[in-house]
Order: sequence, then C-alpha cells, then structure tokens
Amino acid sequence: MHEMSVALSLLELAEDAARGRGCSRLERVRVEYGALAGIMPEALRFCFEALTRGTAHEGARLELVCLPLRLRCPFCGTVFGGEGQEARWEPCPGCGEVAGHVVEQGKELLLRQVEAS
Amino acid sequence: MQIPVVRNVLEANDKIAAEVRRELSSRGILALNLISSPGAGKTSLLERTLRDLGGEFRMAVIEGDLQTDNDARRVAATGAQAVQINTEGGCHLNSNLVLSAMERLDLAGLDILFIENVGNLVCPVEFDCGEDAKIAILSVAEGDDKPEKYPLLFNLARAMLLNKVDLLPHVEFDVARARAHATRLNRDLAVFEVSARDGSGLSAWYDWLRRMRAAKKAGEPLD
Repeated sequence: MHEMSVALSLLELAEDAARGRGCSRLERVRVEYGALAGIMPEALRFCFEALTRGTAHEGARLELVCLPLRLRCPFCGTVFGGEGQEARWEPCPGCGEVAGHVVEQGKELLLRQVEAS
Repeated sequence: MQIPVVRNVLEANDKIAAEVRRELSSRGILALNLISSPGAGKTSLLERTLRDLGGEFRMAVIEGDLQTDNDARRVAATGAQAVQINTEGGCHLNSNLVLSAMERLDLAGLDILFIENVGNLVCPVEFDCGEDAKIAILSVAEGDDKPEKYPLLFNLARAMLLNKVDLLPHVEFDVARARAHATRLNRDLAVFEVSARDGSGLSAWYDWLRRMRAAKKAGEPLD
C-alpha cells in the first residue's frame, strides 16, 4: 500500500523536472528500483495511473526498471547477486561465508528520466 | 523533450527526516522507531519500559495507528507524554507526520522518544522517520520465519526484541531459527528475548537503552 505515497512523491519530482524545462505535460517517466526496495511494479503503476487520470498527465507512461541485487562479501570481496532476492540467503560463492554480505545495489528507488512536452 | 534526472523518489521524506534528526540530536534525544506486525506487543512493551525506567529517564511516545487513540491513552497512563497520530488508512508513519507530532510534545529535558509505527512489517521500513535506530519486534506467537519473509526490516534494524517468550512452552516457535535468519541478514543485530507480561529478559533491553541513551547524549556514534 505504500506505493501510493511513492507514486505521489514520484509525480511531484517528475512535474518539478518538467517545469524546470518549461514543460507542463508528462509523457514518459522512467524509474529504477532495486530488488530489495519493496516496490511492487503493478501496484506502483496502478497508483501512478490513478493519480494522473483526469490531469494533464493522463496517459503518461511509467517505465519501471528493476536493478538486480548486488552483494559484496566483506571477507573475500567476491561480488554476487541476481534478479530476485534469493542471493540474500546464499553463501558467498567465493569463500562460503553465509552472513554479513553488504548490499551494494538493491535498495535504490530513483527517478532517472522524464519525457515531457 | 527528454530530461535526464537522478533523484531519490523518497527524497522529500528523507529531507524532513533529516530535519527531525537534527532537531532531536541538538537536544540529545534518542529516537527509536518500533516496527512489528499488529499484535506483536509494541504497546505492552512500551508500557512496561515506560513504567520500569520512568524514574530514570524522561520519555515520550508518538503513537501511529489507523484509527483510535487507544494506544496513546494506554502509554499516557504510565505518566509519559504521548501523542497519537491517526493515519486514516495509511499503512506507515512518515517523517512529516512525526515532525508535526513533535510540535505537540514538550521536548525540553526529554531523554528518549519512542515512535510506535503502524503495525506492519513492510511499508514502515521504507520511510525514514528521523530515528536513530529501528527496533524490530517479533513475538513467538507468530511464525519463526518472519525474518526470512520480511528481510528488509531485520536487515536495517539495530535491535530485535523477541517478545512473549513466556508462551514458548505452548507454541511451536523455533527461537534458534528466527535468531539465525535475523542475524544472517544483519550481523550487528542485538537480540533480546523478552516477555512484557512477566518481565523476563527486560533488564538486558534496558541496559541496551541506557547504553544507547548515554552515547546519544555524549554525541558519540551508537554501537
């Protein structure tokens, strides 16, 4: 359910970026989210569409790109990961250590590009 | 027109959280964000903590619930200051709600501010409320695989309270499994097995609070 708060913040940032270039209508918004960011793409899309319906941005496309999980073993330095969250529970492929892997990528929630007119 | 941007979607929340953190830190107030599923015992643990440490620290509570001021009234009965936030359906507190609740509290001389988040193991984790640390509360009446199912909370929390251990003889909860999975996600997680009902294990939790409070007051990093 927190996707509604996320969608509201996202829309504000995107409008802000568009206004900064003298644009008033959002056409496409690109967001990158980490595999651990707790985002359900369908839910975020649903909220984004609900918020833009009946506004100047109606029909704007929301592009969601998942950033795969990237972990670093603090003991041997091996970097590993994957598309889902499973790597969180796997031992380090380098040294077998099961605990303490540092999340290098996976918690992001970033607005990366706006297309507007 | 294509406009490249790099902005954290939750930056508005993060900015206000930084403001909350600055205000509380300037006063040396330790702020703890309590997160659990509904019914894990956050309010009971708070009531007990506020009663037991009431002579030692000045404490206040910001209560988050969808409806009612039941919890604020419960903790206010201990003599601590309490402010209720009703999110009217919102599944988490955010930094702005906490900032407005702070305006209704007398912060002078306060030692510890507890933020009791809405009962939910998912959404509250995503929203920084300006706290020094998140505290995960899990009860043995729930599944022992909660840390596996909801990893982000246990990854980010500084301490985990395993509550209702007085029920262990009556439930099938594998303490070792819950501990192992939680600490696998977070090697530095402090784990306390407690019962708010019979008081067992609480002294270790209180010692941890004393240590955190002393570090905060001295402006040292919390360990």
